Amino acid sequence: MVVSELHSLVLSHFLFTGAVLFIFGLVGFLCRRNLIMMFLCTEMMFQGVVITLVGFSRFHGNLTGQTFVIFVLTVAAAEAALALGLVVLLFRRKRTLDPEAWGELQG
Amino acid sequence: MTESVILEKLATLWPEIIMISGACICMVVGLSPKQAVRRSVVWITGLALAVAGLLLVAPHFGWWAGETSGGAAGLATAMFVRLSVILLGLLLWLTSWGVPDLLPATQVAEAAAAQGRPFNPSMVCRGEYFAFFLFSLTGAMLCASANDLVWLFLALELTSLPTYIMVATGRNHMAAQEAGLKYFFLGALSVAIFLYGFSLVYGATGTTVIVSTQLQPVSIAGYVAGLQGEFPPLLATGLLLSLVGLAFKIAAFPMHFYVADVYQGAATPVTALLAFVPKMAGFVSIMLLLSVIGWPLPVPVMWVLWIMAAVTMTVGNVLGLLQNNVKRVLAYSSIAHSGYLLVGIVAGPTTSAGTLGQGLAAVLFYIVVYGLATIGAFSVLGCLRVNGEEAQTYDEISGLSRRYPGLALLMLISILSLIGLPPLAGFVGKVYLFGSAISGSFIGLMVVAAINTAVSAVYYLRIIGACYFGESRIKIELVATRAGRLSAGLAAIAVLVLGFRGGWLVEATREATRSVSVVDVDTQPQVAAPDHLSSE
Amino acid sequence: MANLSTIDSISHYGPIVVLLVMAILFGVGNVILTTVLGPRSQGPVKGMAYESGMNPFSSARRRFHVRFYVVAMTFLLFDVEIVFLYPWAVVFGSLADESALRPLFLGRVLFFLLTSVVAFTYAWRKGVFRYD
Repeated sequence: MVVSELHSLVLSHFLFTGAVLFIFGLVGFLCRRNLIMMFLCTEMMFQGVVITLVGFSRFHGNLTGQTFVIFVLTVAAAEAALALGLVVLLFRRKRTLDPEAWGELQG
Repeated sequence: MTESVILEKLATLWPEIIMISGACICMVVGLSPKQAVRRSVVWITGLALAVAGLLLVAPHFGWWAGETSGGAAGLATAMFVRLSVILLGLLLWLTSWGVPDLLPATQVAEAAAAQGRPFNPSMVCRGEYFAFFLFSLTGAMLCASANDLVWLFLALELTSLPTYIMVATGRNHMAAQEAGLKYFFLGALSVAIFLYGFSLVYGATGTTVIVSTQLQPVSIAGYVAGLQGEFPPLLATGLLLSLVGLAFKIAAFPMHFYVADVYQGAATPVTALLAFVPKMAGFVSIMLLLSVIGWPLPVPVMWVLWIMAAVTMTVGNVLGLLQNNVKRVLAYSSIAHSGYLLVGIVAGPTTSAGTLGQGLAAVLFYIVVYGLATIGAFSVLGCLRVNGEEAQTYDEISGLSRRYPGLALLMLISILSLIGLPPLAGFVGKVYLFGSAISGSFIGLMVVAAINTAVSAVYYLRIIGACYFGESRIKIELVATRAGRLSAGLAAIAVLVLGFRGGWLVEATREATRSVSVVDVDTQPQVAAPDHLSSE
Repeated sequence: MANLSTIDSISHYGPIVVLLVMAILFGVGNVILTTVLGPRSQGPVKGMAYESGMNPFSSARRRFHVRFYVVAMTFLLFDVEIVFLYPWAVVFGSLADESALRPLFLGRVLFFLLTSVVAFTYAWRKGVFRYD
């Protein structure tokens, strides 16, 4: 029952969802002015990639894509920890999350 | 089957395993309550690098019957890249000798411990610094032996993630943390972009294996070979997105915005690392990805790379002219050099049999020479302090030759090699690189590169002018570390030696790329090409 | 086959769509009805956070101590490591009892866990789990 319903999802559904997530993430990254939101946007791009990979994995009938997904998720978690650390470090110094507030580096 | 793939692969990775273990030991040992033990992390790092280097060359000399096999790039390329990463890694190790000790937090914690109070491990990041240093080098080495997109992705991440932390914590200055943040965010963006590219490549081909081996007969290269010239748009888009994402690692055109800020903000020894290690990893990855479709590149890919190369070098050199800060100038020079290196990638292995016909070999040669020269220049800068801060502007290094003639000479050699003046190694590298462009009849690109080289001489000569003919108004001090000066000296000697007697390295790069240039065509029956994108 | 199953599965969602429509109509309808019909009175007492309760004395939006973030990050990293144990466990369970690969597989996962122990030792020494 469940299987037949899943089969009605064709590859293009996965790809479309993945692409939409990726593009929303990209646009958000470029437009947002809050470090946490910008970081979440990159995470959204990762999730777009993940959905694309899972879709292709199902389409090709091999597990490579899903294996890839596990590694992508791990790296995304490592990046999340890193991002939180950096953002907390900067927030304690500047008391704001607006990336425009930092202008030490100008040439 | 998979089992033997893993076993075969693991047996070739002893140098990397040693380095990762060394990094783990550094992490823990750096927090030891005993001061002598804590300080030993520097030596552990050096030891790990040296042992890894010996293990790498041991099978070659017959000292040890280790397994040797390369990834998609072939054994020789992987060997060349790994060995050069280790050797230049030793120079970088010398350069960053005292970096974590200079941080105020470390000094406070060490002073407290010296007075008999309990040592506070949360304030010191000596172990972390050297552990991340080793992780990053290991990542670059792993890129060279990749034969799988998953592997390549993880290796690239292993190269980059530690550098974000090194940038943010290597220096106690607001600018360093800002630089770390910028670097991290653009890095995360670039990773997402090339991952999307990888996922599309996987979608188009149904596999993540790059080149077929006996154990893994289905591969992307095999799929492309089965296409007979036709190129599905999905695969092209995937490769293109991967290239754009990788442009971040090599500091090339669409993703070059961070370079100047990050190089300026990071501690100078960290900057030296950033100029070489991610660039090496990025270029090796680009070579791997492009070797799948083979040279001469399909026309659209060729034009994309052509424009990337031309814009990258022009942007780097023109903006380099406008800077006042030597670290920023060297950052823009790093962008420009990526542009030159892309020329070699565009040309690729040509049909011409002469020495000058090998674009990829030229890339490998040039990247090593660039790495040596830039490590030399940054090491000299890293030795200098003005009022306790890093010396960065033209004014601050002005008159260097009168106070420290030796350092000024080392700077002179490195900078002249970066310009590409004979008889230094940079000249050989440029001849080799531009020669491959001529053999591949990319005359237009060659002309752009030549004009750019001439333009770049202006800002390089300004650095030399400041060192040799400037008035010294500001008092420059030396940081009390001999290792940095030793590193600059060794780099300068290497640049001189390679300039006069560089033939063996040219030969080595030619040997190294012989296998890349020929795309593996003798593959098994391929997966059926997905001709429409619906599963039912 | 494909088309048939597509139509089938869509018809399964019919009741859910009806439920959603009813829920939206009910929610929106209530809001509209109360704004149209209900009496309105504004005042300082009415605008307080807790009408006829305690007077609020400070902002409810407190900043958490940094150590919470550190613990959250540590949790996140160790949490993700568990993901790798699932595929390993599935493959390990399917190996024959006397297979030569069993000790090899066990050794590998033990090495993997050892790296987490190194990370744990590091975090411990760094004072991540200290609450004083």
